[in-house]
Amino acid sequence: MFEFHRLTIKELRPEIGGAATSVTFDLPAGASESFSWEAGQHVTLRFDLNGAEQRRSYTVSNPPGAPLRITVKREKGGLVSNHIATALSPGDQIEVALPFGRFVLAPDRPARRTHYFFGAGSGITPLFAMIHAVLSDEPHSVAHLIFGNRSADEILFREELDQLAALHPDRFSLRHTLSAPKLLSWFSLWRSGRLDADAVRAAIGETPPVAQDVQYWICGPGAMNGDVKSALMGVDVPANRIHMESFGGAQELDSSVTGCAATLRLHLPSGSHDIPVEEGQTLLAAIRSNGLSVPFSCQSGVCGACRARISDGTVHMRNRMALEDSDIGKGEILSCQSVAQTEWLEVDFRS
Amino acid sequence: MTKMYHRLPVEAYTSQEWFDREQQLIFSRSWRYAGLREDLPEPGHYLSVQAGLNNIFIVMGRDHRLRAFHNICRHRGTQLIRAVGKTQKALTCPYHDWTYDLEGNLISVPDEESEYPGGLDKGCLGLKPASVDIWRGMLFVHPDADAPTLAEWFGEVEPLLGPHNPAELVEYPEARRSYEIKANWKIVVENYIDVYHLSHLHSNTLHMYDHARAEYGWKGPHYHFWEPPAPDYAKELEKNLPSPRVIPEPHVGAWVPMLFPGIGLGASEDSWNIFVITPLGPDLTRIENRTKLADVSAWEFTKQEWRSAGFWQGFGGPKYSGEDAAGEEDPMASGDFTSEDIYACEQQQKSLTSPYLEIGPAAVGESPITHHQQAVLDFMALQAKATADNV
Ligand code: FES
Ligand code: FES
Ligand SMILES: [Fe+2]
Repeated sequence: MFEFHRLTIKELRPEIGGAATSVTFDLPAGASESFSWEAGQHVTLRFDLNGAEQRRSYTVSNPPGAPLRITVKREKGGLVSNHIATALSPGDQIEVALPFGRFVLAPDRPARRTHYFFGAGSGITPLFAMIHAVLSDEPHSVAHLIFGNRSADEILFREELDQLAALHPDRFSLRHTLSAPKLLSWFSLWRSGRLDADAVRAAIGETPPVAQDVQYWICGPGAMNGDVKSALMGVDVPANRIHMESFGGAQELDSSVTGCAATLRLHLPSGSHDIPVEEGQTLLAAIRSNGLSVPFSCQSGVCGACRARISDGTVHMRNRMALEDSDIGKGEILSCQSVAQTEWLEVDFRS
Repeated sequence: MTKMYHRLPVEAYTSQEWFDREQQLIFSRSWRYAGLREDLPEPGHYLSVQAGLNNIFIVMGRDHRLRAFHNICRHRGTQLIRAVGKTQKALTCPYHDWTYDLEGNLISVPDEESEYPGGLDKGCLGLKPASVDIWRGMLFVHPDADAPTLAEWFGEVEPLLGPHNPAELVEYPEARRSYEIKANWKIVVENYIDVYHLSHLHSNTLHMYDHARAEYGWKGPHYHFWEPPAPDYAKELEKNLPSPRVIPEPHVGAWVPMLFPGIGLGASEDSWNIFVITPLGPDLTRIENRTKLADVSAWEFTKQEWRSAGFWQGFGGPKYSGEDAAGEEDPMASGDFTSEDIYACEQQQKSLTSPYLEIGPAAVGESPITHHQQAVLDFMALQAKATADNV
């Protein structure tokens, strides 16, 4: 599932004045089945740049059934995002792994739900796919999007979102917050300022849920996620209704713990092994340097491909974005982010 | 031999045993109307409703989402709240002050250490959840926390209920009524869906609509009905409507569905009404009526009243008058179709226990009645089977 396939670029489209790039792929005949995705999932791209392998995960920004498309925000000094924006052309081939990820909204026809989406910046990409999925495949449900950006020029998918709002006036509401709005602008914004606790409460108060199965989807850079989540928990939203993924911007890595040297007992589908882990080494790095292979993809704690279950010992995770609190309660870890905290560890990769 | 009333035994309308079975298998197993959305305007507001054997309360959390729970204290079962009210963050049982938060968690037990020296697992003593949802501006509850969604339950009939958006209308409080009819609930439903009686019992009260051109049918257990305005009324309809429109032109007519079990709606060009039927006993039924009208100024209402006065002046009147009427109080001389219906239901119920009762053949316009009887039988059979499968 994490093997790479060579896909041909069909279209490259600059978004928001070149600050982001949408890449649409041609799927070879027969591959569209295996390359199907759920709204919110990612694909990992692999590049060889300046002699080094680079992997990045990007959300599929189209709803299931549409052409496979990713939208990549250009990061200042970002090796891969700039390569995508400047060095590629239609017809080029890129290595892409099958879509995966658990931040998904699976539409359910008979369901009758109210979905609140809180997004900021390029965090719109999974939400955009999810909103589409709700509007087309969950006909009794409604979607409310509260979308934060710095200024109107930086709003990804602005026209597409306006079109959706015009097409589904009874089922989709769209509200923009801008933290640095231009003074003279025709843009009709809902609030200025950051998408913070006040904005969250105001949004829900203005459009309280009608359908009472309410779900909250959050995707933006680190700080916004935490703010929105705590605003929701502050008004007693149960945690199991909140779904979130961190996106772009500075990821808050907790590198305060170095980790110790340890022995790792590893259970793989092919058998069990005891291997050494060096001080400060991630479990994934240790496994690979011992010539063993386990699934992995983004290597940054976002995709969840490298997840495993720990049954003995403790680890420290630098980033755990791909895991929900309930997963961690069940002993799940991200091996690409885990360093040892005890000298003996037992970790299971089966299932 | 059992005496039959079309598809049902006559005792289905008279016996306590049937009543109890219906309470168990119909009214405790289906979505129940619990009020209008505006009855819970803000976080902290709650109300309770009897749904068959279950008393369920709904409370709005600070996130504006509704929660529903069985109104039963997990200590010794006392009902936690009554009627309607407002709370801040917690619900306390009046008996021993056990306190629950708005998620139903048991958060405090007085004198916990001394009264439960062996410890008490509060985590297992939360309130039992029920389902709640809002549909067409109305609150609905279902005793089962995993009930089928309202989209599954009403989805098919919804497009046939008229273009009304009840959430946009405002209640006309003077029209809110609650009263009892001395008849079985099915008698009341049958009266509501009896197409045959419209031109007869109501010969002088509902003739602004053209009963001969009524279109009606069923979606599962739910009955839908629509009829166009009668030619006289339709000729200058916009002028003749007694109050401002609640639906856009060119929609016209009266939509009078009966949703299962016993949730009647009555909507027209200028109003939207509910007629909720609650069985109280084998021969006693409560009706709750509420009406919503257009959200426009009093002046608009006055103007429309003036415009339409001409039409309504000569319109209607009592079915019986003069010598036929039995005095001033005679419902048949009231000129009000509801009084006529109540009268008919009660008069019919009176005969059901007579040894000489024998029901005549059903007319074409009574086909909804036999269909409803079948819907009752089918729903009960389905639920009885579900119960049997679960043990
Ligand atoms: S490889 Fe993606 S989370 Fe570890
Ligand atoms: S019955 Fe509720 S506290 Fe005792
Ligand atoms: Fe009637």
